[in-house]
Amino acid sequence: MKIALNWLKRYIDIRETTSELSDILTFSGIEVEGITELKAMPETVITAKIVFAEPLPKSDHLKICKVSIGSYQLQDSSILDDDGLLQIVCGAPNCASGQMAILALPGTDLGEVKIQSAKLRGVVSHGMLCSEKELGISDDHSGIIVLPEDVCPGLSPNSLYELPDTIFELEITPNRGDLLGYIGIARDLSASLDRELRLPIVNSVPSESDQIGIKLKIDNPELCYRYTARVFDGIEVKPSPLWLKVLLTKAGLRPINNIVDITNYVMLCTGHPLHAFDYELLDREHEGDKWPSIIVRTAEQNEKIKALDGKEYSLREIDLVIADGKKASAIAGVMGGELSGISADTKKIVLESAAFNQTAVRKTSYFHKISTDSSYRFERGVSPQVTDEVSELATSLIVELSSPSEVSPVIDCNYWMNKPMVLGIRPCRFEEIIGYKLSDEEIRTYLERLGLKFIQYGTWIEGQIEDISKVHCHHLEEAKAGKKEFTEAPDCIHSHYYKIPYRRLDLTREIDLIEELARLAGYDRVPHKTAISAVMDQHAYITTNKVEDYLVSRGFFETLSFSFTDPAGISKLEIDTTDVLNLINPQSSNQSVMRNTLLPSLLDNAAYNINRGEKHLKLFESAKTYHKAGAGIREIPSICAIVTGNHKEEHWSVKNEPVSFYHIKGIVSQLCELLGINIEQSAVSKDYLINSTGLSYKHNDIELAYFGKLRPDIAERFSIDTLTLKQDLWVIELKMSELIEVSRNRALTYTDLPRYPSVTRNLSFLLPLQHSYADLSKETLACDPELIEELSVFDEYRSKQIPSGYRSVSIHLFLRDKQKTLTEERIEQVVESVVKKLQEKLQIIMR
Amino acid sequence: MQSELKQMLSEAAGAIANCRTANDILNTRAQYLGKKSFLNSLYGRLKELSSEERPAFGALINEARTELETKLSAKEQELKASAWEAKQNTDMDLSLPGLYASRGSLHPIKVIRREIDRIFISMGFEIAEGFEIEDEFHNFDALNTPQDHPSRNLADTFYLENGMLLRTQTSTVQIRVMESHKPPIRIISPGRCYRNDKPDPSHSPVFHQVEALVVDKGISMSDLTDTLQNFATLMFGKGVKTRIRPHFFPFTEPSAEMDISCVVCKGAGCRMCKHSGWLEMGGAGMVDPNVFKAVGIDPEIYSGFAFGLGIDRITLLKYGIPDMRILFENDLRMLKQFRGESL
Ligand SMILES: [Zn+2]
Repeated sequence: MKIALNWLKRYIDIRETTSELSDILTFSGIEVEGITELKAMPETVITAKIVFAEPLPKSDHLKICKVSIGSYQLQDSSILDDDGLLQIVCGAPNCASGQMAILALPGTDLGEVKIQSAKLRGVVSHGMLCSEKELGISDDHSGIIVLPEDVCPGLSPNSLYELPDTIFELEITPNRGDLLGYIGIARDLSASLDRELRLPIVNSVPSESDQIGIKLKIDNPELCYRYTARVFDGIEVKPSPLWLKVLLTKAGLRPINNIVDITNYVMLCTGHPLHAFDYELLDREHEGDKWPSIIVRTAEQNEKIKALDGKEYSLREIDLVIADGKKASAIAGVMGGELSGISADTKKIVLESAAFNQTAVRKTSYFHKISTDSSYRFERGVSPQVTDEVSELATSLIVELSSPSEVSPVIDCNYWMNKPMVLGIRPCRFEEIIGYKLSDEEIRTYLERLGLKFIQYGTWIEGQIEDISKVHCHHLEEAKAGKKEFTEAPDCIHSHYYKIPYRRLDLTREIDLIEELARLAGYDRVPHKTAISAVMDQHAYITTNKVEDYLVSRGFFETLSFSFTDPAGISKLEIDTTDVLNLINPQSSNQSVMRNTLLPSLLDNAAYNINRGEKHLKLFESAKTYHKAGAGIREIPSICAIVTGNHKEEHWSVKNEPVSFYHIKGIVSQLCELLGINIEQSAVSKDYLINSTGLSYKHNDIELAYFGKLRPDIAERFSIDTLTLKQDLWVIELKMSELIEVSRNRALTYTDLPRYPSVTRNLSFLLPLQHSYADLSKETLACDPELIEELSVFDEYRSKQIPSGYRSVSIHLFLRDKQKTLTEERIEQVVESVVKKLQEKLQIIMR
Repeated sequence: MQSELKQMLSEAAGAIANCRTANDILNTRAQYLGKKSFLNSLYGRLKELSSEERPAFGALINEARTELETKLSAKEQELKASAWEAKQNTDMDLSLPGLYASRGSLHPIKVIRREIDRIFISMGFEIAEGFEIEDEFHNFDALNTPQDHPSRNLADTFYLENGMLLRTQTSTVQIRVMESHKPPIRIISPGRCYRNDKPDPSHSPVFHQVEALVVDKGISMSDLTDTLQNFATLMFGKGVKTRIRPHFFPFTEPSAEMDISCVVCKGAGCRMCKHSGWLEMGGAGMVDPNVFKAVGIDPEIYSGFAFGLGIDRITLLKYGIPDMRILFENDLRMLKQFRGESL
């Protein structure tokens, strides 16, 4: 629903800024979905009278106009003609002599257009006559704005249009039918801001006339609770005054004529939809009836009605209609019929103000796929209490704007039991549900601001109170005696009782009142009960699990060994033992120190399994290692893995191969990539590994991981004879503390998909042995970083056919331009430049 | 003309039947239906006929065209089908094994540990890491253990050269967390513990425990039994019963032993539960006010419960592993059985 701030201000003072008001609305449960600022028109946009307009020769639609700008002082008065008029060329079909229009003078900046004096078809035009779209008031650009004739030329139209203004797009929850009008919003704001609500003053129009009337009957009181009708004779159907048009336009409705606009205006004000019928098109029920009829009844099966949208609907027996004496004239609460619609010739009308069953309206609207401003409101509930008041408001406007000669008395058919709802609320229940205490005072203040009427204190009775005397208890006496705190009595729960205003159809239970209180007091008052103590290092936990799961997915088995080990085992690795912690009371000498490396246990496990015939092993352990660190102790999370034997499990269709450097490099590099870590690689150097058989992975000089081949002599010390096995034994060490820290706070951001295709080109050449793939990659990418996206090796070999000192390398080059599709010519250029550069820098020989 | 048409049709039928490739089809179609085909030329010759004869013959030509189209597309389909059918290897041995991705497994203790983590996380717990090498204060003093308590003996506890010791239970983490964090606290802490026990079917000097600790206002023993029951239900399934029995621990008051109904015999009595119908799960209790005082939490404002569960014991139970020592042997044949238990 769209609400214009200036209109809202008629009902309540608003001193807040747009964003403050937006917050207040949103946090009281009325979500602001959008805000549109309607700017004031520039000073050079003024009212202007079209003194005459005539077609421009040799043009089928342009008109040449002379306009008067009254006493407006032009900066450059030389553009006025001898009669003191401005010449404007206008293309609008509705432009005519005598109209009062809105003119944008030369120099006006309308955002999309800048107005300048210009020649059109050789005729000078000093400005532009504007449509609503050009001024940003609406999307209408079917013609220029035509203002009422009594407007003076040369003035700013801002006051006519109440500009500047702010339009709020509000989302009203389905339970709050009472908010579907300006007054409803103002009323709710008056409760949350504790500010006065100014209701419109309605001058009632009494009538005793027996000259006009209608025969009114409700056949289905369960579907139509109340119907208030009024008949007007001698009305004049004409365009609405500007102020009314402006209000409707800002709320997103199109002005039609004064009668339809009044019903829409009253609906926007009160949230109560109205309808007007052309009286003379309504039939009498019986031949001799004095008046035509309005009968609220369910439709006959397949009864047809042509609605105002021009479509014919075939109704069902459950659809409610407003019929005259013979036929359906409107689908009740949903849409009027075309036949009885208001036209320019209409002289006599019936004004309907009714309350329909919300479920019935919803079913009809849903089934026939008609959704209107009217059905939208009836579906959410409209109070039968006020049909007469709303009718009165519309009547006063009809009298004012269409000067009827005769107005009938109010004809009211009312089946509504006007019995106020009385509900109780327990302050202690509020605290139980919402989590904090509200005083009696606060509860009363908030609810009374919403228009609930406090009746008394009493003991608790659930549901609607039929007989208020039943809730009497000692609280009543204590309250009368002026006590603020009540003494507790057994079997008596302190409660408040309130009369619910008729318009709040949604307040039927204690919990509804609790919700209103929580809303008005502000959800920000709801206390937080327990804060998480944030003991857990989520990232460390997740990363450790991720690495373990990754290794499992790459074929590794997790082992688990004792934390204490044989000091001899550590010595076999020839690594430093000065940080090793000794146990005072070990169970045996081979479990006498806390391990500072996981490797000896893994090698023991490997030996154990090899002895049992399992030669192909991928094992890891994820555990802490323990280190003396000065006077203190460090426990370091580590993951160590060993690999030996074949790369894959045996399978009849696969030619197996022993694990190679590139297999292990793939495992470790991919892991770093999965953790999102940028790494630098260098040849590994560890005493127990064969030099340069593996890699060390670093990030900013911090070592994260390394791998390499275990020295066969060391393997033998652990009873693994790699030479007899004819297998290498690879060791992978993952430094979990470092991996966790380096990958912390990494956030993945989605990259937009490329819009243009990539192109692949292949290059085969001989590369001198002293140059690495890394060199090749670096030089190639540097050639044209904008276009060369990636390169990949698809073949590499050395053989006797190749000149000594060289190897053969073949690469895919992936090229892509982010802005456009690459041309063949450009591709050739890039490839050529790559070849040239590689020849210069790396001395490649093309094949 | 009619007989010419007939002859053309039978000739075309032969040509279509002789098609061997998609290209043959193309050529045949051009020959008999193309612009220069005999059939097409017949349209031009219609004017040779009288106006009475024309419609009937026109219909004949169209019929012939349809017949040829149908035959050609049928032949085309036939050729396509035989082309891919020929490529299929029909003498495949369907019983030879398929190709598996090489895949390892987590250690069964890790499998259970992760499952316990998940269950407690689903109940709103956090996981706290603790030290395995501890001082006497955190392992004993702060946990209200008397100076002369037998658990402090060398025969029960491993000591290190620098006076530190290997924690004998994860309860040490309680103290660490309460020292550094204000209530409310809702944590579990799984990890290795150490006791100087000789390895046997149900003991190991290195074992795994998970400690749970909840500290807040208004925490009662019923929160303890509630959490225990929810954990047991999620871990062992619906129908498992839990109970607590009075016991003594220095750091809880009141203290309890926790039992669950035997998951093997469902409480009827078996060898596993020593015919009692119940299995011991670990110790529990309300945090002793002295423990709160040692970490600076006011026991008048806060209360809490703690319990410890044996992860290894649950692992043995869940998988029917008969001997704890099997868990630490890391035999590949054992580990391979747990491939399906890893995520
Ligand atoms: Zn049993």
